[in-house]
Amino acid sequence: MTDLVSSTVTPPTAASGREPNAGRLARPAALVRRFPIIQMVVLVAVYAWGSVRLEGFSSASSLRAMSVLAALLALASLGQTLVILIGGLDLAVPGYITVGAVAAAQLGGDRHWPLWLVCAFTVAVCGLAGAAIGAICHLLRVQSLVVSLGMSSVLIGGVVVATNATTLGIPPASLSSLSAVMSTTFGIPAPPVVVVTIGLVAATWLFLSHTVTGRRLYATGANPLAAEEILIPTGRIRIGVFAFGAAFTGLVGILIAGFSSGASVSTGDPYFYSGLAAVLVGGTALGAAQGDFLRTVLGALTLTGLTTILSGAGLGEGDTRILYGVAIILVVLAYGRGRRLRDRL
Amino acid sequence: MSTTHLPPTDVTSGKPGGRRYGFRRSFLRQPWTFSAILVAGLLAANLLAEHSILAPRYWPSLLGNLAPFVLVAFASTLPILGGGGGIDISVGPQATLTNCLLCAVLFPHGLGSPWVSIPLLLLVGAAVGVVNGLLVAFGRLQPVIVTLATFFVVSGLALRVSPGPAGLASGNWTESVAGRIGILPGGLVTIGVVALAWFGLSRTRVLRTLYAVGADDVAAFSAGVNVNAFRIGAYVASGVLATVAGIALTGVIQTSQPALAPTYSLVALAAVSLGGTSLLGGRGGLMGSFFGAVAIFLLQDLLAATGVPTSYVQLAYGLLLVAGVVLSGLTSRAKVS
Repeated sequence: MTDLVSSTVTPPTAASGREPNAGRLARPAALVRRFPIIQMVVLVAVYAWGSVRLEGFSSASSLRAMSVLAALLALASLGQTLVILIGGLDLAVPGYITVGAVAAAQLGGDRHWPLWLVCAFTVAVCGLAGAAIGAICHLLRVQSLVVSLGMSSVLIGGVVVATNATTLGIPPASLSSLSAVMSTTFGIPAPPVVVVTIGLVAATWLFLSHTVTGRRLYATGANPLAAEEILIPTGRIRIGVFAFGAAFTGLVGILIAGFSSGASVSTGDPYFYSGLAAVLVGGTALGAAQGDFLRTVLGALTLTGLTTILSGAGLGEGDTRILYGVAIILVVLAYGRGRRLRDRL
Repeated sequence: MSTTHLPPTDVTSGKPGGRRYGFRRSFLRQPWTFSAILVAGLLAANLLAEHSILAPRYWPSLLGNLAPFVLVAFASTLPILGGGGGIDISVGPQATLTNCLLCAVLFPHGLGSPWVSIPLLLLVGAAVGVVNGLLVAFGRLQPVIVTLATFFVVSGLALRVSPGPAGLASGNWTESVAGRIGILPGGLVTIGVVALAWFGLSRTRVLRTLYAVGADDVAAFSAGVNVNAFRIGAYVASGVLATVAGIALTGVIQTSQPALAPTYSLVALAAVSLGGTSLLGGRGGLMGSFFGAVAIFLLQDLLAATGVPTSYVQLAYGLLLVAGVVLSGLTSRAKVS
């Protein structure tokens, strides 16, 4: 999977070194690569546009509501971010979210399982599915995109079979308070999901930049062959990242069921579009091992702002998808171009 | 890539080649062997479950139902053969966009005549293919990301065009695509035209060059092949074929259903990988995708005939795709070692 992708993308240093005016541009270019400056400028621009266009856009209550939506979107894309960092692509995100959400509604709501048991069940099912994707991709060197697309269908199909497509119960009320817009966290005037997301930005930064495993993750994404040569266990990294991403996304599915007070087999569908768009618009590039969770959070905030503005202007689901698609192409054209054939001779 | 070490016989269009080997040997060497055996097995199982399935009077409707599967599989084969990580995930939405345009725009606005609507739809399909191809070849973006983005855009367009289901009046020409065109079954015509075009191309240098590009693009480039033109051509062909699949699909379902898009992308990829086409490019062909699509169709038919609830279909599609990928990975690994 990864060797396909990464071998065609220029390493960032080589690209800037070849430019004639590299000396003058090196510092700003390095800054832009290191810190998500452009993303922040775009984010501020979107929110400025929103407050000019829509009345009440920048009111406290609307900002709180958008922060919850963006936090859920960012959390649902944490697994995808890590998978993209190691050069994969996980299209099974809607599957994990559906499994988590339906488990919360069916097992937690109808059958009154305790919450920890619902969580354990979700982690087990999604973790296994993710580990299977990682293992197949690593052992057979196939694209994770195709395997995860199949796995998504297996998971959602499994949910359809297991619930018999009947109407589902309502998840336990204790879940809803975690993502309720007006809730507080131990006295902090912000909903728990928002606080958790901010905490995870710091935690993933520490993990990715300051632990051996985190650095190995980047190394695997940047060049899997080189990573294997320096004895990084790329198989364990791939299986681990896919399994962790899947299990975590499943848990976010439980949160989403609590947020929307219900679940169905199509609960995960919107995250197929918006989750991937959040990661890529945030600037985490596929196959270049650049990016982190902070960028995904910025991407999620930007997209949430944009969709709020545009749905205020009366745009529907179809328009949102078109917007996501165009945004992805524009962003990838800006960061993720490969090398020319004549440069690869 | 590993595919460059293969003997030239593997580069044929799926015809049993290599006169040095006997028939049995050359049959077993084809990439599509496994899917052909799978089709034979499933056909036997189908016959046991439901004796009448092969009665001639069912052929037109059987072939009509089969055609969308085979055509989307054909559509997604070409970019994969072109290599460089080439893949077209947007074939499903392209087929449903065609379906939605036909049902919700062309027919209601009096443009439903086949002489007007078919060229218009093919033009739309080719345009989407050109966009995909230009972004991959000249934008130098990864095909996965490009076609995923066009997946989003095209499925969004389909939703815009047809927010709710729009049905067709009975007696329209698309019914004959899923039934009979003249004396021939409609499904046979749509699949047959593509198969003939492929056979024709396999007699020319075009297809061989596509395989060369897929096997090693840098080598093909240094041999003077216009790699970008071949890649763009593959995406355009994919768009056109996905449009034909959308017309065939409309013949079967007779309403607009934008929600089918992911299913058809999935079926197409499953058929291609079951058919033994390497996802790394340069190896495989339409024959394998045909058998792969027939296998998926027969399995779905078998599930229905044996009374398995339709809720299992999605699960079965997913398992087939995973199985196909594992299989394609295992066989290409065996060839390498």
